[in-house]
Amino acid sequence: MSIGIRAAIGLNRVAGRVHYRQLKLAAFVSPVLLVLLWGWVSHLQLISPQLLASPLEVASTFQELLASGELQEHLSKSLSRLALGYSLGASIGLLFGILMALSRNVEALCAPLFHAIRQIPTIALIPMFILLLGVDESFKIAIVIKASFFTVALAAYEATRGVSVNYLEVARVYKLPWITLYGKVIIPAIFPPVLTGLRIAFARSWTVLVAAELLVADSGLGQMMQMGRDMFRLDIVLVGVVLTGLIGFVIDRSFKWGEAHLVRWRVA
Amino acid sequence: MAVTRAVIDFRRSEEAKSEAEHPPASYALQLDHVSKSYLLHGEPLKVLDDIQLDVRSGEFISIVGASGCGKSTLLRLITGLDAHYQGNIVYQGQRISGTSLDRSIVFQEHRLFPWLTVEENILLAFSATNVSQEERHDRVKAQIATVGLTGFEQAYPHQISGGMSQRVAIARALVLRPQLLLLDEPFGALDVLTRMKLQHELQRLWEQEGLTTVLVTHDVEEAVFLGDRIVVMTSHPGRIKRIVPVKLPRPRIRSASEFQRIRDDVLSDFI
Repeated sequence: MSIGIRAAIGLNRVAGRVHYRQLKLAAFVSPVLLVLLWGWVSHLQLISPQLLASPLEVASTFQELLASGELQEHLSKSLSRLALGYSLGASIGLLFGILMALSRNVEALCAPLFHAIRQIPTIALIPMFILLLGVDESFKIAIVIKASFFTVALAAYEATRGVSVNYLEVARVYKLPWITLYGKVIIPAIFPPVLTGLRIAFARSWTVLVAAELLVADSGLGQMMQMGRDMFRLDIVLVGVVLTGLIGFVIDRSFKWGEAHLVRWRVA
Repeated sequence: MAVTRAVIDFRRSEEAKSEAEHPPASYALQLDHVSKSYLLHGEPLKVLDDIQLDVRSGEFISIVGASGCGKSTLLRLITGLDAHYQGNIVYQGQRISGTSLDRSIVFQEHRLFPWLTVEENILLAFSATNVSQEERHDRVKAQIATVGLTGFEQAYPHQISGGMSQRVAIARALVLRPQLLLLDEPFGALDVLTRMKLQHELQRLWEQEGLTTVLVTHDVEEAVFLGDRIVVMTSHPGRIKRIVPVKLPRPRIRSASEFQRIRDDVLSDFI
């Protein structure tokens, strides 16, 4: 998609496979440079080694954590919270968003409160959620649900409201039964913007979950980083930082990949 | 006033003549004192005023008018997309109050669903019918062949040209074998060559299927080329100014002097 707009404004005119290969290779340049810079800075000890562990140290800590099984435990905790909270929040958000776009009553009743609450940063709700739900699992899952529900609901609401009248008129001319109307017209029409909403919601859920784990948790990637900080083991913190980024990146890419494969009809 | 009366008299005499030739029973579509207003900034704005038109079964009517004369609105009313109007639009003895599979419309934009292939787009027309799957596929295949798109069944709309997309839209409109075909500036967005080609094809389809057709256009030549009668409309509010019969053999030759005379005559209403 980005290639399309660049071509339209006259950038990156070289099209075709060669160009794609160049892009893929280029993708590794900046991370490699960053790691080199990081190694160089820590080698020169520009920042105290207690604060900035070298890439190699972080790599060996990563191996240690992996060997002890500690990392897997934290990761599986975090990811299962994310999976449960996100699937609940996103699916309810999807249904609610569509319903709010379709029903004037639901919209009149819920829209003002919905738009007000979605403005509150999820992080700001953490203290209240702790008071209401305690510091257990349910609080972290609730945080993820909040983060994903509002983003997905908003995307689904806007997408459904944005279905072109032109399409709906064609549906009326051919008297499409409601199952066809939804299956063949509305859902395919809202699919691309909803997918973008799901992607943004995922990124928000993941960030806010790690933040919540940093604040209160007995396990999870955030808790591992918090523990590392308490013990002044900045290498552990950095393992967490790198992993948080990597996991987010990989899942975000899978959304993009899924979009490219599911929305084949799109004009690229 | 005198002019208006003269126009009305002219129209009446036209109608009287056609009524004499064809008994009223063969009218497929009757528009009886049809008016339509929109609310614009709280004020009613009349877009159609007292439209009176009878369309015989199998007739090809061209409606020409400048933009804003309400001709597209009129077509939407006949389609049944808008049931709020004054007067009566009667199709096969029933007042139109909603859409029907008997009446099909082709819009200026092809309005194909971009996520469905050519074949799936046409198949969608059968959704509300109980035609068997097998027959659906056979008819879609035949219809695609009729509009000359065999080989493009699996293409997505963005992979084919504007002219081809409009042919798919026509195929979709015809696949249920409607008795009334409504065309809202169907070739307006196409280049001249494609437009002329599709006009020929439309003429052929109309003769083959014996369709009653109402074409809305701002292209006077197109109106003369295709119409049995040309309804000339004026704007603000949309009124029928006069109805011009075209009694030329088909397919019509654009360079023929009689063709050009009628075209210039209709054009003189606008320039």
